[in-house]
Amino acid sequence: MSFPKEAYQALKSLVGEENVSDDPVICAAVRGGAAGINVWDKDVVSPACVVLPKTTGEVQEIVLIANRYRLPFYPTSSSMHVLASARLPNTIAIDLKRMRGLEIDEENMFAICESGISSAELFAEVLKRGLWCMVPWCGGQASVVANTAVHGTAPSIYRFGFPHRRILATEWVLPNGELINLGSASLFRDYFWGEGPGPDLRGILRGTLGHLGGMGVVTKMAVKLLPFQPEPLEPIGISPHTALKIPEKRIKFFNITFPTYEKAVDAVYEISHCEIGAMVMIIPSLFRYVAKSRGKGTAAFWEEWNKLGEWVDWTNTVVRVCLIGFTSEKQLIYEEEVLKEIVAEFEGKIREGRPLDESQFTSPDAICSFFVTGTFHPPTLVFDSLDAGLKTARRNVELRRKYKGVLAEDHSYPGWTFSVELGHMCYYEFLCYGDIEDKESLAKLELEILQSDIKLGGWPMFQDPSLLGPAWLNYHHHLRGLKEIFDPHTLSNPPLPERLPWNVPPETVIKKGD
Amino acid sequence: MMRLEDYAHDAIACIRCANCKWIDQNYTRSSRFSRICPINVRYGFDAYSGGGLLTIARAMLEGRLKFHPTLLEVVYRCTLCGACDVRCKRNLDIEVLLTIEALRAKVVQEGHGPLGPHKAITQKIKETGNRYGIPNKKRLAWMSEGSLPEKKGEILYFVGCNSSFVQTEIARSTIKILRASNISFTVSPEEWCCGQLLISTGQEEVALEVLEHNITAIEASGATTVVTSCAECYQTFKVKYPRLLEKKTEDMPFKIWHITEFISKLVKEGALKFHGQTDVKVTYHDPCHLGRLSEPWRPWHGIFEKFRIPKPPREMRRGTFGIYEQPREILKNIPGLEIIEMERNREQTWCCGAGGGVKETFGDFALWAAQERLEEAKLTGAEMIITCCPWCEENLRDAMRSINTGIKVYDIVQLVANAI
Repeated sequence: MSFPKEAYQALKSLVGEENVSDDPVICAAVRGGAAGINVWDKDVVSPACVVLPKTTGEVQEIVLIANRYRLPFYPTSSSMHVLASARLPNTIAIDLKRMRGLEIDEENMFAICESGISSAELFAEVLKRGLWCMVPWCGGQASVVANTAVHGTAPSIYRFGFPHRRILATEWVLPNGELINLGSASLFRDYFWGEGPGPDLRGILRGTLGHLGGMGVVTKMAVKLLPFQPEPLEPIGISPHTALKIPEKRIKFFNITFPTYEKAVDAVYEISHCEIGAMVMIIPSLFRYVAKSRGKGTAAFWEEWNKLGEWVDWTNTVVRVCLIGFTSEKQLIYEEEVLKEIVAEFEGKIREGRPLDESQFTSPDAICSFFVTGTFHPPTLVFDSLDAGLKTARRNVELRRKYKGVLAEDHSYPGWTFSVELGHMCYYEFLCYGDIEDKESLAKLELEILQSDIKLGGWPMFQDPSLLGPAWLNYHHHLRGLKEIFDPHTLSNPPLPERLPWNVPPETVIKKGD
Repeated sequence: MMRLEDYAHDAIACIRCANCKWIDQNYTRSSRFSRICPINVRYGFDAYSGGGLLTIARAMLEGRLKFHPTLLEVVYRCTLCGACDVRCKRNLDIEVLLTIEALRAKVVQEGHGPLGPHKAITQKIKETGNRYGIPNKKRLAWMSEGSLPEKKGEILYFVGCNSSFVQTEIARSTIKILRASNISFTVSPEEWCCGQLLISTGQEEVALEVLEHNITAIEASGATTVVTSCAECYQTFKVKYPRLLEKKTEDMPFKIWHITEFISKLVKEGALKFHGQTDVKVTYHDPCHLGRLSEPWRPWHGIFEKFRIPKPPREMRRGTFGIYEQPREILKNIPGLEIIEMERNREQTWCCGAGGGVKETFGDFALWAAQERLEEAKLTGAEMIITCCPWCEENLRDAMRSINTGIKVYDIVQLVANAI
């Protein structure tokens, strides 16, 4: 069945001819991305048309048209195509980049963002007002609304917690076209408060990973801003070596090495326990080699990386801590003293970093992960405790040895870990740089990793949530129920949020009797 | 010849991170000027962006997308300003701009491109050696009879079509500066259009004829150094000619200098001194071709081995070593002149909109891009916008007719000529 002419005509009348297109060239350009070819690109097709709404009313109308003609649709904002892509024929891509509204309430410390506002531009605007907002790892180019709604983890997640904790009043077009306002916006057109009335519907947005476009379109969101130290962050350098010069009496980075990986983890617990620091992460040597190769190219990376022996000394793994004197210079002095005491207690060696930030404040560039081979295969992503992260790291080394030749030489690096919410959780990530031609071996590796994750008790992100059973995680059951009510024809970004296209079926991971 | 197939790796490697649409986040100073891709801001659809064009290239290479008339509109609306390329290469090794250029070459090779106005200019270049179709013997008409320089010399001033026929005050200012510095130079009556438009619109075969003619003319003049006051000509000689000849820039038979490099050197050496007092606030517009697109060409003929590792190593041009500081140093040396930077400067510059054959085909869009730049300039409080590309100047002035910003546009050589 081809895309209904009447539906296209309705879209054209709504947004104007220049803001909708069913042209094959225009549509081909939004056919997902190549991000990790084997991963996020799976089952992606070109949408049947792309529409660029300007207002919430237009978004609402588009969703109603989609419902009227039973057409699948998906939202995309800064167009970082990861999870929002067409996977069925006749899909409408709702590209929200024309929605550029941004209002900042300096006194009450919140910003109202429409979906086309990027994290870096919000950061720039709030910084001028002595405030701070979180910029996600995937980069400052990513949308504030999308990343706040879907757990866009960031370096400062250690101090300020999950992004969803800063969701205030929100405007949301449900999959059936109904418009709802959450928090204070539901009572009066003011966005200062996120809760109520009644059940806090932000939980539906938040879930475990968010609804990922599977429950309609968030068009406007107020996000809480945070106080920041008053000194300016001065940009310096020419691309690719751009950075922010940081005020040394207010912000410091430290690189710390420990005699064992266990001691590094224990030290991170202690740092978190003492509630010091703004960012705390355990950075594998691989990332440091990537950073050193900035501007030199992948071949330069491999030349240096290949000089390492078969096994990277895990003590090379650096614990990187950023301390910020949010309230005063004295705060920084105090936190530095506490940090040094902890480092001494766990027999670490501390080195103060340069007063520069290339990639933590406004330009977190996890995109560099793709630099190594241009892509990566399904990574191990675990949201659990720091101990679970450590166990997973140990396991990964053993598993990966069996896949020599399928995986690029990683010298048994332990992966990347960062402390979340003052040590209460850990985000662990290991990237498999695999030979994408050898799909069969990579699928086997993926299955083994998953089976092992389950045995270790960690929760593998971006996999079927039912893998761990409802006692551990039941959000997807609730969401399924809501989806049946508000999206009975499964039009909103199918097959999300029920399952992700690359999910390994649970029955394959866990066999009967396991 | 460019082949899209040679950029298959780049088309596939795009992860659609969207950085190609935004300025470097470390340099983002406001929401208003946070975006860097003119076509994407103006037209919205992702097809009008570096990432979108890479995805289109991939679709064509994988046989999922056949030629369609819209393809011409999409690939030729891009100004080839290279902003996407620089932004992408901060983090990744992807030849974004070259892939877009290869897309253009492909549509020409298949007989679909370029667009009508491009073809008309091509015809004029073929017939007269310049973009305007004016008899080429008038190329040096801007010089008075008695002031013609020597016919031969080690240094050749390559004037360029625009300064020879339209904005002749740029050419006159340039030779005033050269003479004030006691530089012996020549100009060639045999000069033809550099061919930037031909190459950038994918017409490489015609461009090769132009290239051969110009190189022969330069060699005949005895010059080993070519100086130009045009950013487009500069980039053509420094990057595009070596690319067509599959040579390194250093292996070309002459050295190429932009006049700002030359003046900056002369000022440093004390050979050129500025006098008087010019109390004026200015802002400087970095032309794409002089800045982020002017790094020397390095041919690469290699393969991607397992795990997509390039062999031999592929040296990327990331915009790091463009001509950014020399014009600023010159301006700083002019007594009384104060430079105020726009938010988007150096490799993060916003394209004026004239490049890549866009001014000739999508004039309204070119003017819109220039208006954006003028607004950014006006917000600095500057009274003048200074640049060193005749094409940027022309487009900025044209844009000024439709919006009154009160700001004036000058070429840097005009200011220098006034100050000596």
